[in-house]
Amino acid sequence: MKYVEYINELVKAKVLEPEHILCFGQNISAGSCISGFTRGLKVKPGGRIINTPNCENTLCGIGFGSMMNGVPAIFFMKQQDFLLLGIDQLVNTYNIVRRQSPKASFTIMPVIVDSGYEGPQSALNNLADFCSIARIPGYTVTNKIDAQEIINKYLVAPGFRIIGISQRLFKTEILDLPCVYRNEERSVFQYTKGTDATIVCFNLSLPHGIEIHRRMAEKNVQASVFSINAAMPIEWDEIVADVHKTKQVIIIDDLKSVNAPWQSLLNALYARTKMKKHIVVQRSFEGYWCRPHHDQLEMDYDKVISDFNFQKDLIGKEDAS
Amino acid sequence: MMTKELKIEVLHKFLRVRMAQLIINEMYKKGAFKVPIHLALGHEAIAVALSTVMGPHDQLILNHRNIHYNLAKVHSLRSEIDEYLLKKEGLAGGELGSMNLINEPQGIVYSSSILGNNLAVAAGFAMAKSMKKDGGVVFVVTGDGAMEEGTFYESMVFEKSNDLPIVIIVENNQWSLGTKIEERRCPIDVGKLVGSLGIPFEQLSSNDTYEYIEKLTALKALAIEKKTPVCIEVPLTTLGWWRQKTADFPDGKFINYHAGPSPSVNEQEDPYLAHTSEDPLFVIEQYFGQETIRKLASDILAALKKELV
Repeated sequence: MKYVEYINELVKAKVLEPEHILCFGQNISAGSCISGFTRGLKVKPGGRIINTPNCENTLCGIGFGSMMNGVPAIFFMKQQDFLLLGIDQLVNTYNIVRRQSPKASFTIMPVIVDSGYEGPQSALNNLADFCSIARIPGYTVTNKIDAQEIINKYLVAPGFRIIGISQRLFKTEILDLPCVYRNEERSVFQYTKGTDATIVCFNLSLPHGIEIHRRMAEKNVQASVFSINAAMPIEWDEIVADVHKTKQVIIIDDLKSVNAPWQSLLNALYARTKMKKHIVVQRSFEGYWCRPHHDQLEMDYDKVISDFNFQKDLIGKEDAS
Repeated sequence: MMTKELKIEVLHKFLRVRMAQLIINEMYKKGAFKVPIHLALGHEAIAVALSTVMGPHDQLILNHRNIHYNLAKVHSLRSEIDEYLLKKEGLAGGELGSMNLINEPQGIVYSSSILGNNLAVAAGFAMAKSMKKDGGVVFVVTGDGAMEEGTFYESMVFEKSNDLPIVIIVENNQWSLGTKIEERRCPIDVGKLVGSLGIPFEQLSSNDTYEYIEKLTALKALAIEKKTPVCIEVPLTTLGWWRQKTADFPDGKFINYHAGPSPSVNEQEDPYLAHTSEDPLFVIEQYFGQETIRKLASDILAALKKELV
């Protein structure tokens, strides 16, 4: 099953639950239905599905108003960039809402457009940039497990949040991975457990982490793979415990922003473990960084593994800290 | 037809809103408040009329200049002033101050300090109200500055497209901070603008609280019956302006205070701020006479001061 088909199935099931729900956005029940993301949405008789005009700031306010008045609302967006127009509502209205205990939900589900060839004005691909301006709970979805856990837990739960999905994963087969750990907030997921290295994936980079894990396994190196699905401040305890054992970390981040949550992780790891080695794989841009460019974080996996220069002699030496 | 009892009740409410503002202005001049408060002297007619017309299922959404609507609804001046003083005994526990003050039990469900922000939120409230079929309308108050924001138009397009009963009130005092309309933009014919969307429009300019009650009642009924937004423009004057002498303006530059106290207004037993139709209290005079109004104002001022002791 394709990534977008799976997300669509989860969303369709969830919006059928509330007696009243307002699903809205541009083309959500017309045309391609955001390339299949919202195709076939149905709600109970007390709900509404609305194809809206193009007015993102107002649409964000409408979602907050509906939530405050007791009707869950979901704003489906074709492109996260347009959410920039809604920043007043995301910041100022949310700052009022957050002191209340809303009985209903407002969830924005934007497609994080990472199709780099669209040009300079489609350069923003970082959900964390939005979330940081008002400490908004934000989640990214990369595979079957996190999609199921995050959408089922949060889509219509009271309160406000943003759940971002990846455009470049839309037509790919959805990853189906066993989950060995997830925290209560669904901000940290662990998919493999290893003793030799720790791989931590940010934003939408989990497929890269899984591929590195596979190639390391071929060299008899067992790595733990984590994915960080949230943009809000995160407790790093589980990763710190893992690095206690492995002492070696590969961080993968496919953001284009300077606002990188992995810096907080590195600080925690250096402060709380005796980590011996780390490598950060991220996009590198020279000159005019937002020029049209490749869609994906380009990775030479073998070079990353070679640069990392994995050292067996570092493992098994638990530090006392 | 309005009963005599209701007319007297409305006069009481009007004078309470006016005299409470005069008390707050005096405290403000003495530096009592750290939060910015936007006084609305001269705006009382529409606020008192609206609070009279609001039913139990109606909801009111305000902007930064909301003191008159809040005072018309609040039962205790003490709790409102405590909120401005950021005390935990305040109406919102000292968490909202003035520009975001709400009073949910009285139907004031949201106030925004950001120009235009509340218009979109009001559209969401109206949408939810329509879906729940819980009756009543949403009233939203904006101004001649906020209607320059794109969301004024966008919200009305959404409301009209979805048959939402909502009453949009534009308080037009001509000023945005220190600039008058003619200093910042071309004229906007609000009636033609909203008319192009098929939205009924009415201008209320008599400054007559009693006439406003009747008009608002009819316009609210229209919004519900026709399932449509309705827009009302209310030209008014923010009273308490003064002239500031500077090197550039030796004869004094006209200052329409945006926030902060009005130095030209003093707490007084005389409640009038102008003896022209710019002061809605002057307009009420035709119903009761000056002597009755002065006497009642004096009693209400004393009662309010007693509340604060």
